[in-house]
Amino acid sequence: MISLPRYFQSIIKSIALFILLVSFNKLFAAEGGPCKDYGECDKFQYSLNDIESLQRGASTYINYCYGCHSLKYSRWGRVAKDLQIPEDIFFENLVFDKSIKPGDLMIGAMPEDSANWFGVEPPDLTLVSRYKGDDWIYSYLRAYYEDSSKQYGVNNLVYPGTAMPNVLMSLQGNQRLVCKDVPVLARNGGERRDDFGNTIFKEKCGFLEVQDGTGILSREEFDTLIYDLTNFLVYVGEPSKAIRERIGWYVVFYFLIFTALSSLLYREYHKDYNK
Amino acid sequence: MTEIAGKLFTWINTRLPIVNTFERHLSKHPVPSKVNFWYLFGALAAVTLIIQIVTGIWLIMPYSNTEEQAFSSIEYIMRDVDYGWIIRYMHTTGASLFFAVVYLHMFRGLLYGSYQKPKELVWIFGCTIYLAMMAEGFLGYVLPYGQMSYWGAQVIISLFGAIPYIGESLELWVRGDYYISGITVSRFFALHVVALPLVLIALVFLHLVALHEVGAGNPEGVDIEEHLDEDGVPLDSVPFFPYKVLNALVAIGVFMTVFSIIMFFFPEGGGYFIEMANFQEANPLVTPDHIAPVWYYAPFYTMLRAIPDPLGGLIVMASAVAIFFIVPWLDRSKVASIRYKGIYSKIAITMFGVSFLTLGYLGTVGVTEVRKTMSVICTIIYFAYFLLMPIYTKYEITKEVPERL
Repeated sequence: MISLPRYFQSIIKSIALFILLVSFNKLFAAEGGPCKDYGECDKFQYSLNDIESLQRGASTYINYCYGCHSLKYSRWGRVAKDLQIPEDIFFENLVFDKSIKPGDLMIGAMPEDSANWFGVEPPDLTLVSRYKGDDWIYSYLRAYYEDSSKQYGVNNLVYPGTAMPNVLMSLQGNQRLVCKDVPVLARNGGERRDDFGNTIFKEKCGFLEVQDGTGILSREEFDTLIYDLTNFLVYVGEPSKAIRERIGWYVVFYFLIFTALSSLLYREYHKDYNK
Repeated sequence: MTEIAGKLFTWINTRLPIVNTFERHLSKHPVPSKVNFWYLFGALAAVTLIIQIVTGIWLIMPYSNTEEQAFSSIEYIMRDVDYGWIIRYMHTTGASLFFAVVYLHMFRGLLYGSYQKPKELVWIFGCTIYLAMMAEGFLGYVLPYGQMSYWGAQVIISLFGAIPYIGESLELWVRGDYYISGITVSRFFALHVVALPLVLIALVFLHLVALHEVGAGNPEGVDIEEHLDEDGVPLDSVPFFPYKVLNALVAIGVFMTVFSIIMFFFPEGGGYFIEMANFQEANPLVTPDHIAPVWYYAPFYTMLRAIPDPLGGLIVMASAVAIFFIVPWLDRSKVASIRYKGIYSKIAITMFGVSFLTLGYLGTVGVTEVRKTMSVICTIIYFAYFLLMPIYTKYEITKEVPERL
């Protein structure tokens, strides 16, 4: 069909060289990750077809976050429709201001001078999943710890010095930074042992641990709550994401068929001058 | 009925050269019978241009070019306009892929000597299209008025300030304000949707007219006009329609498959097509941690950063684009195609390709000492490819070009 040029080899070589140069460059890279003191962000995999998760996330958002953080590009009625919540149930249970209509934007409930309360105005979060990323949100909301030097008694590993108090503390419980004895690793990757065959331990700090019995939810339940909340923020960041990915398959499939048929036609005509 | 239609057609055709134009530029226009995939990117660039124009027209309808509403009108398109997200993503993906195919199209030109006599004007119109595209892309990037729109524009417009004597007033004149504001957005909007598209369409027209006058090239660098049949048609040619159109159709199928995979599954292109910071509304008080241009400007941005002096950086960056215009006079080779050029040309173009890609990579990441040194080295290689061209193309041993394709 389309002949590969003799130069193809050189292109492959150039690409290989480029990759080599880039990886060489990576060795000298010295940039901190987006999750700062937390290290690598925890990976988040959204599931926008899990409507129940989105519904739970929306409920958590409206009950715990919406008081301060608006979703000003999103409309109430659209959320109800996309999350398959009948409008009467949605408005009865999740919309506290009874003057709101389905077509209204979710402009928040904060008075104008709110910046004075926290030092900064709580940001609008409609697009937070798009400029911070879902991994970041999922890690951030789980990385609060007790720190009495701060205004609200908490700090955050992902966002050190964050202005937001840990709103979900009653659910999560009191999380603290603790030190633990961890096995020292030998050069071969195994645990290092002393002459008697006992594993050598070393104290390492910076682990997050929730004090037993201080929170309403267990660790797993709390992680699920944050998962649903993050999932909802992914949805609200791009409400058409689920349908986009669904339509995408059809379009790609269409163009594959198109390519196949047009190359058959091309081959037929190609016989005219290339016998 | 058919009789009336026939009469009507004759009536029009005697007043408007429909048949003539169709035959001259399509059904009888001879193109080389053997080309490779590198020769398909021109057609793909035309397809992308059409996509950009059509989606652009639909984006203008709901977009608002004011400082207060520019950003939120984009979200309005993404949420409230029916299938607005498809149109917007086609436009953003199209912008990146337009540059991708144009870069490949230009590289094809360098590989197979598509600028050599008598194709100098085709090449120069092409370079001007590229220049206009760079301006068009930049202007368009400011319109969503996100953080990267704002700060990217800040960096680029302040480049004018580096010009001696007139710099500062020029900067003010371009911006229309003392800082980037709604005034800048609305003038950029006018330029992006009216002025530059007109220039682009005119240039593309000239590019094609000049091309059809001198004839398309081929990867062998053979002049097909040397061997004609009794009707004066080159023996090694086929009519553009339907043969080359069908060839292009296959390419369009492959291209649109890639296009739709990106736009439906990775519309942000990993932060390279739509930068994450641009999902935050422009804020003159907060500078983003890391200002990076979109990938297609990255090689030139790296050159700008590699030079410590702003004016020097500006001159180097401008020359990097300007130097393309004089390539037809830098190449002194007897042969056009890289297949028959000597080893020096082959080494030179490989080094050039690698340095261009590396410059591109360096422009999207932060600066470290090692990277700074690398960007200087790559900038030198980039310019050496052009500036040494008269020497290495003249003195290298070339291979014999065959008579026929």
